[in-house]
Amino acid sequence: MSFIVLVCFIAIFAPMLTKHPWNQPTGASLEPPNKAHILGTDDLGIDLWAQICYGTRNSIVVGIGTAIITCFLGIVLGVVSGYYGGIIDLVITALIDMLTSIPSLPIMIVTGAFFGPSIKNIILILSILSWAMPARIIRSKIISVKQETYIKVAEGYGAGFLYITYKHFLPQIFPISLASFIKLISKAIVSEASLSFLGLGDPTSKSWGLILNYALNFPGIYFTDYWKWWVVYPLCCIILLVLATAIIGREFEKILDAKID
Amino acid sequence: MKKSKISKLFAACVLTIVIFGMAGCGTKTTEKSLGGTGEQSAPLVICLEGGDWGFPSPFAHYSRGPGASKMRLIYDSLLEKGEEGLIPWLAREWTISPDGREYTFVLNSKVKWHDGKMLTVQDVKFSFEYFMKHPPVSDSLFIDGKPFIEKIEVIDESQVKIVVKEPNATVLDRLGIVRIIPEHIWKDIDDPKKVMDLDKLVGCGPYILTDYSQEQGKYRFQAFKDYWGRKPRVDVIEFIPVSDPVLAFENGEIDLLDVPPDIIDRYENNKEFKILKSPAFWGYKLLFNMEKKPELADINVRKAIAHAVDVDELIEKVARGAAVSASSGYLPIDHIWYNPDVTRYDFDIEKAKELLNNKLLNLVLLISDSQQEARIAELLKINFAKAGINIDVRAVDMKTRDNCVKNCDYELAIIGHGGWGRDADCLREAYAATVARDAGPASNVICGYSNPKISQLCKKQLIELDEQKRKSMIMELQKLISDEIPMLPLYNTIDYTVFKPEKYDGWVHVFDHHAVTHNKLSYLEQDKK
Repeated sequence: MSFIVLVCFIAIFAPMLTKHPWNQPTGASLEPPNKAHILGTDDLGIDLWAQICYGTRNSIVVGIGTAIITCFLGIVLGVVSGYYGGIIDLVITALIDMLTSIPSLPIMIVTGAFFGPSIKNIILILSILSWAMPARIIRSKIISVKQETYIKVAEGYGAGFLYITYKHFLPQIFPISLASFIKLISKAIVSEASLSFLGLGDPTSKSWGLILNYALNFPGIYFTDYWKWWVVYPLCCIILLVLATAIIGREFEKILDAKID
Repeated sequence: MKKSKISKLFAACVLTIVIFGMAGCGTKTTEKSLGGTGEQSAPLVICLEGGDWGFPSPFAHYSRGPGASKMRLIYDSLLEKGEEGLIPWLAREWTISPDGREYTFVLNSKVKWHDGKMLTVQDVKFSFEYFMKHPPVSDSLFIDGKPFIEKIEVIDESQVKIVVKEPNATVLDRLGIVRIIPEHIWKDIDDPKKVMDLDKLVGCGPYILTDYSQEQGKYRFQAFKDYWGRKPRVDVIEFIPVSDPVLAFENGEIDLLDVPPDIIDRYENNKEFKILKSPAFWGYKLLFNMEKKPELADINVRKAIAHAVDVDELIEKVARGAAVSASSGYLPIDHIWYNPDVTRYDFDIEKAKELLNNKLLNLVLLISDSQQEARIAELLKINFAKAGINIDVRAVDMKTRDNCVKNCDYELAIIGHGGWGRDADCLREAYAATVARDAGPASNVICGYSNPKISQLCKKQLIELDEQKRKSMIMELQKLISDEIPMLPLYNTIDYTVFKPEKYDGWVHVFDHHAVTHNKLSYLEQDKK
């Protein structure tokens, strides 16, 4: 938890934490970590710490942005299909089945290559491909809640879909949405890293995946000392952030499960 | 009883596989006994970095060096590029008439095609005529889109005469590198681009393609036993897919490595390895599309851009020091006719701003998805922004970029290619041609640009047969080009090629090319002279 707070803090206050700009060379090419550049510099002589700080923004924006859109899509579609049933349900579950069965990375690569590299596109593509899981969970929840007598009663008094959703469904599905929201964040961060790692991000932007991409594609990097700072630090950041979100997601699930029970 | 037979058979199979495996790539056991003399019975297999460069027929290979060179292993030409200049090849000698219009070539006798048939003068005549009807990927028979050959005559069974419409300085160069293809294979083929069968790849060159996998980017070439000329020293050349060339070389999977400059000291001063330094005939240039962006037609804008590029920084950071800055007059430092007195554009942001009159420019820069180009683009973007030029970088895959450049579908583009060491007529092809020479990335028309002075001088040098006079014209031309900068050459790279001489040490550079693996002399016995 504290790591996530730290990461958010870094993302928000990035300009104050680094004395070097993230997009300008400030030192010699590939300086090892030293006093001026605490994590060293990359091949262009740009400070790595500055890049990682700014990359944090990218990762967080992609992570939270994707999670919000995905959860919204998942809730709307899940509630609609669970509540109405019939053909709508059939179509949506078919879509869900399709999306969960096809591997998402190849599709992300193809669509990413097709729509061109930008953060907006990455968020959109990731959201379109990952709403299926929350939608499925929410749909099954709604189906079971729908059978409750108080819903039937509300319907009997003439309550509409929107009213029921707002008053009864949302409070019910809030805990599970929150859990999937957090899971989605970490999934999106990893996906963004892998997409930009594959060279599908804007080649001149800064994100953790892209820093790693340039480092690992540097010819013969393992036969030099450069990997010790250029590869290790961004890699640690990705691993730590994903681990932290995963653990928080787990904890939330536990707490909420206890509540529901 | 049966069981034991089967197990014996199985053991024999395993043994054969092991033995064959040992003769193949990646093993160190057989290397020592070979010593590169080629006299031993164990075949010498050389493995090189693969990748798909197209089907190696003259009509289907990809239009870059790795594609063309594979095709050339299969097909011979009248002349060949040697270490110093053109050398006799299929043609053992040639004469040029005093008026410079008739070229008579005398062919070597007893040249065999891979299918055992004999090569005849008729095949040579056929090849030229076929290529004029169906231009190959690397085409030299057209000058600015028009054929320059008037007719081809067979004199007797070993001599062929080619008459050109107008004498020019590059005829021998152009005729000499035309591939000779067998008439009995191609005469009935109307769409040669569609031919994709291995058994149609019959040439008279030193190697036969025995295996090609497009998906994996694998090629296997085997030496042709009845080759007429210098004996192949390498029995099998294999191009195999590798993910990391340095690791592959360290593990002995490939036998040659363009060593990244940062790790060159691993191989220096080490008797096990030998390092060859290439001439700087491969380079990056920045293209301006004046058709799509009329602002770029303003010479001050182009000059401003030239002043905003810090070439030294690019060389230090992106090329890791293994490059020389390119000449604004195009011909690189290592070219025999390089002019050192061309106009230079030093890195000077203030000057760039002044030239732009503090105007702001917004441009899209097209690059391929290679690491080097992305890094160049990033540095350019930083410096351009200081001068008031905002660029938006768009990365696409290499073949898409090449195609966009060919179709003038870009605003600014970075493109890298070889062939900078070719005959100085490449200046005409690069700056004054209205039609691209062939499909290669080195030959692109500058979109929306023409300069009568440059065009005129380009034409004049082409028909000048006196070498000294032509040379001084080329010098003047470079100066003119450097004043105009219709495109901006960035830097020319130097390759350091490392290999183990104990296994094979025949690698040579030909006079105008940067890569040792691209010429067939590297795989053949040296000339006895």
